[in-house]
Amino acid sequence: MRQAMLLPALLLSAVSLLPVESKSRVDPKGPAPEGRCAVCGMFVANFPDWAASITFKDGTMAWFDGPKDLFTFMSDLTRYDARHKASDLVDIRVKDYYGLKATDGRKAFFVLGSDVLGPMGRDLVPFASEAGARDFLKDHRGHRLLTFLEVTPELLKQME
Amino acid sequence: MRAPTQRYRNILDFALSSLLRRKGRNLSLTGVYTLVVFVLASLIFFVQALKREARELLVQAPDMVVQRLVAGRHDPILAAQAEAIRSIRGVLEVRPRLWGYYYDPAFGGNLTVMANEHEPIAADAVWIGQGVARNMRVNEGDLISLRAYDGLPMLFLVQKILPTESELVSSDLVLMAPRDVRSLFHFPEGLATDLAITAGNPRELPTIAAKIVERFPDARPILKAELLRTYEAVFDWRGGLMVVVLGSALLSFVIFAWDKATGLSAEERREIGILKSIGWESSDVLLLKFWEGTVVSLTAFLSGILLAYVHVFFFSARLFEHALKGWSVLFPRYRLLPALDGYQLTVLFFLTVLPYTAATLVPIWRAATVDPDAAMRT
Repeated sequence: MRQAMLLPALLLSAVSLLPVESKSRVDPKGPAPEGRCAVCGMFVANFPDWAASITFKDGTMAWFDGPKDLFTFMSDLTRYDARHKASDLVDIRVKDYYGLKATDGRKAFFVLGSDVLGPMGRDLVPFASEAGARDFLKDHRGHRLLTFLEVTPELLKQME
Repeated sequence: MRAPTQRYRNILDFALSSLLRRKGRNLSLTGVYTLVVFVLASLIFFVQALKREARELLVQAPDMVVQRLVAGRHDPILAAQAEAIRSIRGVLEVRPRLWGYYYDPAFGGNLTVMANEHEPIAADAVWIGQGVARNMRVNEGDLISLRAYDGLPMLFLVQKILPTESELVSSDLVLMAPRDVRSLFHFPEGLATDLAITAGNPRELPTIAAKIVERFPDARPILKAELLRTYEAVFDWRGGLMVVVLGSALLSFVIFAWDKATGLSAEERREIGILKSIGWESSDVLLLKFWEGTVVSLTAFLSGILLAYVHVFFFSARLFEHALKGWSVLFPRYRLLPALDGYQLTVLFFLTVLPYTAATLVPIWRAATVDPDAAMRT
C-alpha cells in the first residue's frame, strides 16, 4: 500500500525536472581534485560541503577539509606554512552549513559539539548568520556558539 | 624436447575435433546453454539498467515531497502551508505542485495531468508526452478533448509534444496551465496536490522533515532517498520474482547437463578406453573433457551475453517488459543506456558456468578413471 502511494509521487517528482535545472553544490573557486588539506592531508574535493580556504596576499591559497583544520592552521602558522605570516592573510572562507555557500570566515559563527560530524569527526560547524547558528544549536544539541575570534588554540586542543 | 604447451595444444586440438565429431549433440547442448545464459543475462541487464535510469532521473528530483494525509490517504494540501515550511531553517525552496490522474476511457489508461511549473502555457493549450500523442494519434496543432469532472468536454490545442529523450517519465504526461488543471478536476483554489521542497544542505533533510511533521501532524514528508529505495525495492522485487521463475529453468538445465554428461555413449566409452590403452593417462582424459566443457561453456556464455545485450539495449527487452515495467497501459518507448559491469558478469558466470561444470565434473571423472579393458569390452 505504501509503495502504491509512493510511486505516483516518485514519478511526478521525476517529471517535474523536465527542464533541467542544474544545482552545483561545489564552490566555483573550489579546490582542485588533487588538492589536500594543509593540516591533515586529506583530499578536500571529497568533502565539498566542509571545504574552507585561506587566501594569502601573494594570491596563493590553502585549503582545508573543515573549519577545525583551518583554525589549527592559523594557530600555528609557522609549523604548517613557513612562507607566510599572519599578516599575509587576505581572505578566509568557510561554507555556511545551511546554504552550502562560501561565506566570510571572520564574520561567521561556529557551533561546537553538535551531533553533526565533519570529515575529521567533531568540527566547528560554520554559519553565515547568528540566527542560523542558534537554530542549529537547538536542533542538533550543540554546546556552544562561538564567533571567529572566540575560537582559541586551547579550545582546539580540547576538541582533539 | 617439445615445449610443455605442445601437449595442451594437442589435447585442445583433439577436444575440438571430438566436439565436431558429435556435432548434433554438442550443438543442441550449446543452444540450450546459450538460451539459459541469454534469459538470465537479459534479466540482470534489464533490472540494472532500469535501476540506473531511475537513479539518474531522481538526481534532479526535489529533495523532499510533502503530502497531506486524510484518514491515511493522500489529500490536497493547503498551498499556504508552503509559506510556513519555507520559514523552516535550511529550506531553500518550496513549490506547491498541482497534478492528478485522468482516466481516458478511449484507450483504458491513466494520463498524468500536471500544471507546468517551469514555463507558462497558454490557456486551453497542452504539451503532451510521446505516449499520449501516439495513442490519441495527434500531432502538434491538433485539438484533443478531455472530459472535465462534470462530464463536459474541454478542448485543448496540442502546442508541443515533449521530446523523446524524456519519454521514460513523460510518456503519459499532459502539461497545461494551472487554471486549466483546476477547472478540469474541479480542484479548489488555494490547494495543491503536494509541495516539493529543496534544502540548502541535504544533510538537514531529516531535521526539516521532523519539523514539518511536528508543525503539521497530518503532513507526510517523503525524502528523495526514500523514493530511490522504493524504486529499487520495486525493481528488485519484480526481478526477484522473475529469478524464482527462472530458477526452475536453471535447475532443469543443470539436470539436462548432468544427463548429457552421465549418459556417455558406448562409442565414447570405447574411445576413452582406446585412448587409455594407447597411453593416455586419466589426467589427459580429464584435461580433454575439461577442454570440451570449456569450449561449450564459453561459447554459450559469450553468445548468450551478446544476445542478451542486443535484446536489452537494442530492443528494450521486449520479452520481459510487461513483467518488469509494470502497470501502465502507456508503455514508454525508449532505449536503455548500454552499460556492463564486471560484477554483473561475474554473477552471471557463477550462475551458469559453475552449475554446468559442477554437474558434469563427477560423470567425467568416472569415465576418465574407467579401466580401458572394461571400457573396450562393453
